[in-house]
Amino acid sequence: MNSLDKVLKALQDKFGAGITGHASPLPTRLFINIKAEMVREISNEVVTLGGRYLVGIGHDNIARDGNIGMIHTFGFDKDNFIVHLNAAVPGSNPVMPSITPDIPGAGWSEREYQDLLGMKFEGHPKPKRLVVADDWPADIFPMRKEVPYNMVPPAAEDVAYQLDECPEGCSIIPVGPFHTALHEPEHFAVYVDGETIKGCDYRGFMTHRGIEKLCESQVSYNEVPFIAERICGICGSVHATAYSQAVEMAGGIPVPKRAEYIRSLLLEIERLHSHLLWLGVAGHLIGFDTVFMQSWRVRENIMWLSERITGNRKTYGMVIVGGVRRDITPVIGEDILKVCAKVEEEVKIIHKSITGDTALHKRTKGVGYLSKEEAIKWSLVGPVARARGIDIDVRRDHPYAAYSELQFNVPVVDTCDVWGTLVVRLLEIYESISLIRQIIAKMPKGEILTELSEEIPSLKHGISVVEAPRGESVHFVITGEENRPDRWRVRAPTYPNLQAIPAMLLNDQFADFPIIVGSIDPCFSCTDRVEVVSVTSGKKRIMSKSEIEFISRGNR
Amino acid sequence: MDIVYIVVNIVIFLAFAPLFEGIVRKLTAKVQSRQGPPIIQPYYDIIKLLGKENFIVDNWAFTLAPLMSFAAIISVICFVPLGYKANFLTQYADVITIIYLLTLGGVSILLGALSSKNTFAMMGASREMVTMIMVEPVLAMTFFVGAVKVKSLGIDSTIFSVMNTGYSWAVVLMMALYLMALQAFVGKQPFDIAEAEQEILEGPFIEYSGPNYALFKYSMMLKQMFYASLFVMVFVPFLYTGVYALDIVIQLCEIALVYVLIALVGATNPRLRIDQAVKYYAVLIVLALSAVGLSVYGI
Repeated sequence: MNSLDKVLKALQDKFGAGITGHASPLPTRLFINIKAEMVREISNEVVTLGGRYLVGIGHDNIARDGNIGMIHTFGFDKDNFIVHLNAAVPGSNPVMPSITPDIPGAGWSEREYQDLLGMKFEGHPKPKRLVVADDWPADIFPMRKEVPYNMVPPAAEDVAYQLDECPEGCSIIPVGPFHTALHEPEHFAVYVDGETIKGCDYRGFMTHRGIEKLCESQVSYNEVPFIAERICGICGSVHATAYSQAVEMAGGIPVPKRAEYIRSLLLEIERLHSHLLWLGVAGHLIGFDTVFMQSWRVRENIMWLSERITGNRKTYGMVIVGGVRRDITPVIGEDILKVCAKVEEEVKIIHKSITGDTALHKRTKGVGYLSKEEAIKWSLVGPVARARGIDIDVRRDHPYAAYSELQFNVPVVDTCDVWGTLVVRLLEIYESISLIRQIIAKMPKGEILTELSEEIPSLKHGISVVEAPRGESVHFVITGEENRPDRWRVRAPTYPNLQAIPAMLLNDQFADFPIIVGSIDPCFSCTDRVEVVSVTSGKKRIMSKSEIEFISRGNR
Repeated sequence: MDIVYIVVNIVIFLAFAPLFEGIVRKLTAKVQSRQGPPIIQPYYDIIKLLGKENFIVDNWAFTLAPLMSFAAIISVICFVPLGYKANFLTQYADVITIIYLLTLGGVSILLGALSSKNTFAMMGASREMVTMIMVEPVLAMTFFVGAVKVKSLGIDSTIFSVMNTGYSWAVVLMMALYLMALQAFVGKQPFDIAEAEQEILEGPFIEYSGPNYALFKYSMMLKQMFYASLFVMVFVPFLYTGVYALDIVIQLCEIALVYVLIALVGATNPRLRIDQAVKYYAVLIVLALSAVGLSVYGI
């Protein structure tokens, strides 16, 4: 009996009638239907059995059976499988128990569906608005199917997010909505006593683009990857790959081996790019602009290489459902190796000077401390988790693309601070370079794309996890009719990591705020991916698409 | 005739301070593999700021602060024996006057920041205050090491004490300490804590714009040049020729070298946190006190 069956059996033995059904379409995926009122107990048991909370997916099924569903997903990293707990509640009264009190990482997932689907989670410790704008009407739930994708309700005046109460004797320092240290709009209210941080409240989701809704209602399967790529300016291929894999899994579409290698290649190039970019930003955040400029100079080689391979410096537009769009020619292969050699050499110099710089140690060691236990509790991912001694990496734990055929180490350190994340990222640069060399050497010949000839059957579930540079991205797809997904849920790695930021900030100095937030390599807009475009205020003029195009082409 | 020296002082400082800032920016750019702005960029910056709109907080202190800061540093410059020439004003003041006037410059930054009532400015002001309190003693001790030697607090006799009586262990120690405190004196990395763009967005100056901000900027540049020239005058007086114009040129070259040092240290260090900086300053103060002690015993 393998461990997937063991988990199922353990749950059946313990909860009996609480488990109403199960399916395991792949040896690595287990779907369990459960009774909504037992979701908290069953989730706790799954965590006890070794599950790590990934994400919650709410979906509107009212048209079919009158229910709204909430799927909590858990990864079993040692045994390479993912468990889905599917609970459904009637659309007329969508109330279910909250699992957040025991699993804090689920806090945002539940708040999200409170906003978007009108669900209620009993016992949620902070049931505030998360996703929709403050002036969004309280009785319109945008992810419900009856709400059109382009609905624009009238803007309201005098509505504002109510911040958490400030601890006694502290003053509030606003960081954002625009702040030099953070390159995207978001608002942290930091409660400080002198220079010491005593708390923090976060209000983000300010750049709602309505991507999920758009893709569920307007475009077709193979147009989504290009929109998915635009979720993030840095890990675009990650999202395109994760989405494509989820559809391929749901629809049983085979992918040619060569395409899988090319996908891995793109993901590793993206990781190299992202880590060098992060290193520069981190240097800038602690006022060390020389690190910033030098690592971005090295990064420029990668940008050049990306353009050589894909025609674009960023946002490659390579990955689609069924494979990739361009092949790697032998000439380009040589260029890749040349750039790798150059980058490796330069990164070694940077690595050496950083590890020898005591001033830099002073600013990063012991800063943003979060213990391993806390990190597990918050379901941290990526380098942020690996800097806290948590040995996870979905490239190894839930292999996809060509990773099962490649050798690499997963650097893990246990300093539990910002310094650790820096070390992990630096070491991962070398691993990525080694992976790219292996890929070029091992890449098999053959096709690069399976054309979608047959219709993808509807109401199939697919989940895919891809290790982005900042941690794993989770994409969940429920296939639909009309050649597009019925539900597509994206969870970028910043989503869990950002939730733990208040815990990391506690009792640190305000001067360390930028680098602590920077240490998770935050990507606020990735997190802000959901919902209908909102109008900022009634007074402002809305620009038409043609006007924006006009301006973006350099005109005034 | 002595009055002419004062005018020369002011003209040279006003003319060269932005140039040296430009050198720092260019050098920093080179260290960072950048092309960098033209060396005369700081002049453009000041001219541009002077022509911009002046947004003010409705508060007399807010408008007074930049003027006071500029006036304070200009007054300091009047007393400086540039080109090894004591001028007309030097005899009416002593080193305590210089320390007071420099402190006044710091106080006016505080005044401006506090009157703007901006959260970030408040934070910057408190950092500025801590820096002022901790760094000022090192400057004072620099003068006192000389003052003890020549048994006078007079500006020229104190500043020229090394030139006239030679190096001693106390002077060598003080010289090292001065260099260690230099980045803090001039407010450059790793001690640009009060401004810290990435944390508190230029702190005390966040609400300033246009001509007011230009005055602050200019005062900061003049202050930096003062500290660099003080180092040259006190600790490396051995290139004295006796020809006034030639001495000024030599001193300016030496000041440029001090700026090179400032740029290199600034480009190769991250910013420290205020708590880390305070510990560093505390060590400097203790060592500076012992330098004065050594000087008392004539070591």
